[in-house]
Amino acid sequence: MGCPACADSGSMRTSLQAVALWGKKAPPHSISAIMITDDQQTIVTGSQEGQLCLWNLSPELQISAKELLFGHSAAVTCLSRARDFSKQPYVVSAAENGEMCVWNVTSGQCVQQATLPYRHTAICYYHCSSRMPGDGWLLCCGEYQDVLVVDAETLAVVHTFVSSQSPDWVTCMCVVHSVRVQGDSLLAVTVTGDLKVWDLSSSISSIQEKRDVYEKECKCLDSLNCQTIRFCTYTERLLLVVFSRCWKVYDDCDFSLLWTEASSNGRLFAGGEVLAAHRVLVWTKDGHSYIYQLLDSGLSKSSGPADGRLLRETIYPHLVCSASVQENQNLSFVMGYMNERKEPFYKVLFSGDVSGRITLWHIPDVPVTKFDGSPKEIPITTTWTLQDNFDRHQTVSQSILEHFSGFGGEAGAEAITASEYVPSLDKLICGCEDGTILITQALNAAQAGLLDVGSVPKDSPSHKVLKGHQQSVTSLLYPHGLSSKSDQRWLVSGDQSSCVILWDIFTEEALHKFFLEAGPVMSLLMSPENFRLQGDRTVCCVCGDHSVALLHLEEKRPLLRARKHLFPVTAIKWHPVENFLIVGCADDSAYIWEIETGTLERHETGERARIILNCRDGSQLLKPEPALPAASETWTYRSVECGPSGCPPPGPGACPGLQGEAPWQGVDARSPPRPFNVLPVKTRWSRVGVHVLLFDLENLLELLLPAPQGSADPSGSFYGSELLRRARGTVSKKTLTTKRSRAACGTASPEAQAPPAGRAQGEDAITFLEENDSVKWQKKTKSSKKTHPQPSRKVNASLPLDAAKLFLSCLLPWGVDKELDSLCIRHLNILKLQGPVSLGLASSEDHFSLMLPGGDLCDTETKTEYSRMNLFSRKVLDLSNKYTATLPSHLGTSRGLENGCDCLQESNTITYLLSRLFLVNKLVNMPLELACKIDRSFKVESIHKVKSPVNDILHISSFYGHLRNGKTDSPTPAADLSLVKLISCWRDQSVQVTEAIQAVLLAEVEQHLRSLRKTPEDSCVTCPGQRDGRKQVQAAPELGRAEDLQPGPLRSASPVQSAVSPGEHDSNSETANFQDSEDVPGRCVLDGSESPGEPRHHSWIAKMCSCKKLR
Amino acid sequence: MATAMAATAAERAVLEEEFRWLLHAEVHAVLRQLQDILKEASLRFTLPGSASEGPAKQENFILGSCGTDQVKGVLTLQGDALSQADVNLKMPRNNQLLHLAFREDKQWKLQQIQDARNHVSQAIYLLTHRDDSYQFKTGAEVLKLMDAVMLQLTRARNRLTTPATLTLPEIAASGLTRMFAPTLPSDLLVNVYINLNKLCLTVYQLHVLQPNSTKNFRPAGGAVLHSPGAMFEWGSQRLEVSHVHKVECVIPWLNDALVYFTVSLQLCQQLKDKISVFSSYWSYRPF
Repeated sequence: MGCPACADSGSMRTSLQAVALWGKKAPPHSISAIMITDDQQTIVTGSQEGQLCLWNLSPELQISAKELLFGHSAAVTCLSRARDFSKQPYVVSAAENGEMCVWNVTSGQCVQQATLPYRHTAICYYHCSSRMPGDGWLLCCGEYQDVLVVDAETLAVVHTFVSSQSPDWVTCMCVVHSVRVQGDSLLAVTVTGDLKVWDLSSSISSIQEKRDVYEKECKCLDSLNCQTIRFCTYTERLLLVVFSRCWKVYDDCDFSLLWTEASSNGRLFAGGEVLAAHRVLVWTKDGHSYIYQLLDSGLSKSSGPADGRLLRETIYPHLVCSASVQENQNLSFVMGYMNERKEPFYKVLFSGDVSGRITLWHIPDVPVTKFDGSPKEIPITTTWTLQDNFDRHQTVSQSILEHFSGFGGEAGAEAITASEYVPSLDKLICGCEDGTILITQALNAAQAGLLDVGSVPKDSPSHKVLKGHQQSVTSLLYPHGLSSKSDQRWLVSGDQSSCVILWDIFTEEALHKFFLEAGPVMSLLMSPENFRLQGDRTVCCVCGDHSVALLHLEEKRPLLRARKHLFPVTAIKWHPVENFLIVGCADDSAYIWEIETGTLERHETGERARIILNCRDGSQLLKPEPALPAASETWTYRSVECGPSGCPPPGPGACPGLQGEAPWQGVDARSPPRPFNVLPVKTRWSRVGVHVLLFDLENLLELLLPAPQGSADPSGSFYGSELLRRARGTVSKKTLTTKRSRAACGTASPEAQAPPAGRAQGEDAITFLEENDSVKWQKKTKSSKKTHPQPSRKVNASLPLDAAKLFLSCLLPWGVDKELDSLCIRHLNILKLQGPVSLGLASSEDHFSLMLPGGDLCDTETKTEYSRMNLFSRKVLDLSNKYTATLPSHLGTSRGLENGCDCLQESNTITYLLSRLFLVNKLVNMPLELACKIDRSFKVESIHKVKSPVNDILHISSFYGHLRNGKTDSPTPAADLSLVKLISCWRDQSVQVTEAIQAVLLAEVEQHLRSLRKTPEDSCVTCPGQRDGRKQVQAAPELGRAEDLQPGPLRSASPVQSAVSPGEHDSNSETANFQDSEDVPGRCVLDGSESPGEPRHHSWIAKMCSCKKLR
Repeated sequence: MATAMAATAAERAVLEEEFRWLLHAEVHAVLRQLQDILKEASLRFTLPGSASEGPAKQENFILGSCGTDQVKGVLTLQGDALSQADVNLKMPRNNQLLHLAFREDKQWKLQQIQDARNHVSQAIYLLTHRDDSYQFKTGAEVLKLMDAVMLQLTRARNRLTTPATLTLPEIAASGLTRMFAPTLPSDLLVNVYINLNKLCLTVYQLHVLQPNSTKNFRPAGGAVLHSPGAMFEWGSQRLEVSHVHKVECVIPWLNDALVYFTVSLQLCQQLKDKISVFSSYWSYRPF
């Protein structure tokens, strides 16, 4: 098997789909690294905030931002290509804290990631195809001695190039392939200015034999702060070395100095490149660049200021051209130059600055001076920022709150400064700049933001406004979300002026105000489950003046004011036994406070402090302020994804910045599967808030399956969910190869829900109920729960359906076919989008990419037709046609909506569409090794091991196929097989997931609505009874199958089930072969033991409970 | 309500004025101070190449411990490298005196000092061109600069305060063992590191565990200082530490450097705090 990390990255929760609700303002992107890919189609930038941005570079050299890649939790320090670009479009990025990621820049997915205890400042890719196994090396240098050799595929350190003389940090390097020397070598310059040469070609064998590789040559260059070293491949003789104060030209043969050019007017050089033979380009830190022609000065020019005493030819530079950025010249810039000799590529000089602006210069092939010999200014070809993208394409702002009717007077005037999503209530709580707090139904807000205004349902969401803060709200905490024992009414908010308010969100009144007088409230935290004070958990406020306050909510009194910290608080720990609060600060010191008395017990620094903060004996470590940009986001993300034991506690070797473990993990296990989630994304040094909607296809299906069918027949619901569960079971069982990955996915699935899941659901539902009926809020007991099971289900049921519709709205390419659009709106009740949405793609737990506004309009063709919006790429239409062609044609005619307005039918269709998308998603995202197996298994059926994956896939695909209509006309397995083959084929052609999903959705919708389009009048109306009759017919073969699989004694347990459950098509012998015999029995037992008379709600819980026990 | 708004407007104007002063005057004052301190700190490390007065001067440190006099050593530090070492070890078994010295041609780089020095010069480099002529436009800009400087300073300090935790095989494999002439006896291991302001030398005496020994073999993990009884496997042998000798000596200039780091870190944080006071006023405005 491949490396475990590979398997892991393929097997995580890929059913998660994201939609970004960008506001009007672009997120900050302070460019700290920049590169252009070898195909000159993409600019990749890394930012101090930790995100990467992919920019489309058109053949006309126009720039447009495409995607934002999230994954690093610290500033990006360098970028480099990570493969032979023509084969794999991979780019590696390294961050300040040692994280390294390899990204596929075409799809935006993170392919590989690792965290090493090294901070790299430069990476060079090296691959010698003839002599090296694997994907090559990443030669890295940075804040450590010498050069590290990192495997480009696994990101593991393979070896180091060591120095025998004066080892030191290496600041820059370049790989030199010289025909003259016949071999590759690595030139590197250290901090102290020593030039070192390692022989790469000969090192390959040394490394394989684990021998030390020492430098071949070492020469002191007598200058500090080397920025760049470049070898002139045209003359194969000259070396350009750029230091911050000067640049020098050396002879490559003996490293003799040929010329030194000092910087003028105090500018600092930042880099350079050789343009052509005897022509160099040098740029400065503040965005100026100069092109010099190097002229031979003849042999004995004694006046030459360089080594005049040596009788050798010297050269002197002549400034030919210069280029500079227009404005903001004192920002710091990172620049690069792309020299492609091949047509139609350009010679491009590019720069990015901390404000996020990219500037391009097209460098002429032969730069010449003006007539009078003075340097010519090269004009800027293009310049672009993220904000430009937002201004051009975001005609409708999709910020989550701006479409709120009746909010705040002028819409969008108030920026959201803090937000919190409460999944159990589906409420989004937003704190605004003016101090108001808004509470809305998140789904409604999202619908209002995304969908066509005219078609938004009239019953606009009732939102609440809490007024009490005088200044902007900085942090929010909903205690019940973290601990089910907390009061559901409570909301805690803190503001800029250090006021903390405890609210009752149902009555909208402020219960208590705490005035802390300690600067802005930076964050609000909940004490962990095991720490209680008089039986209650406390709230911990971290304030702007680095003080920490503990508040007791029940008694409405402050407990502790810890005010002695000199540095920002980075970690908070509770010591439950001795009643201590341990505060870790940014300067690595620890303060231990006694909570009862409020006295400082101890103050430790250095090693002792580290030991105190690192020990995790039962107490919980919280990380209040995301000192790292993406940390908060990754966190929430994790808590969305992981079940109780989803991610193993990070080992002591894990990155020190992210030591905090999500405190909500344990809590999350208790909440019901959520159809969707709202994720507030914040970036460092700014409060531009972006919300990301996360749709979990798996959870959506899970919730949809029981609900709609349930309204017709009570026990059918868990049949549906059982199907899904088994589907998931098979998938998780087979695709997860390593134990680790299995844990990650297995626990993420709702089977692993802890027993109280149902209870929490019930509680939430009751709140809904009581809220809706304006019944006085009361303490719930178990009995009260049992009295209201029915309405509770109803409320929960509409939410997933609405979420699913919203999701399909976001995904459907509108405007491809006008008629189709209207049919969708009329019959499926899927509303049209206001404008194109920005889709996101999760590639692993904390790596994901979000499309930027206008990111989908990169193709010039699509730009012309504005009516066609939200089409991911042109390819989608082709793919969609192919898919339609593969679909068996008779299905299209026999299927179709029997009754357009039947809402049951509608939800069935939506469920079916979702299940298809889920399947496609799974197939395209499948780890490659597994995919290979499937391909093989199409041919070799005899080997059992190889056979299993395809069985699973067929298994899912076929019984999702069953859902197509719920009844008789299930597709033949042969048809499904061909679809699976087609989609697997797409994966091999590196069709992107989003493309595939969109294509399939389009094709399926077209298929589905075809009959409607032709003959909308004579659609036959089937009465429920008729349908039941069909079910009865179908039940016979089903029963037969059940007998095969269910253990004897249990067979009789549920006569109702066998009678009503819709037939599984695979009673037919062909698919029976594919049945995975091992997964069925255990799970069938559970369903069989269900007593049919009980309300479904409870059977559902019971099933989950017993599932848990089984595991 | 109207008066409250007016008061806020006036207040805002004052605050903006103050903030402008902070950005244009106070920040530069602090940065100047910071640069002075860091320059002092970097002088302590005597950056080779920049020093015009030729090679770094040699300093001798006599290492000892307050307890026993089993090990005595004189280490010569030249910049970031140990150029000479004279270690006298009294073997506890036979009271024989063992003399260890560095080879003439070799120097041993103390990576901790080198890293600390490089981090300081990185911090100084970050601050170049941020003098009076430079205009800070936003508070965020100052915060970013301070964050970058503080990152370097914290790393510099941590390099000195936290010596590497090495396993015994790592110590055995380190180049330091090959530095000695005559070569180090096979039953001795030597490690040199910096802990805070002290130069520390540890000598481990080893004995071979017999293959048939009843002792439960458990290899020791990484540690700054291994205690007697720690076991490890080296080559084909299993070895156990029988005696540990640790001697140390304070390097005065390291002490200075650590103080400078702490002071400059506090200075940076105070500047960040000052900027943050105004955060509510600049966060949504471009100025």
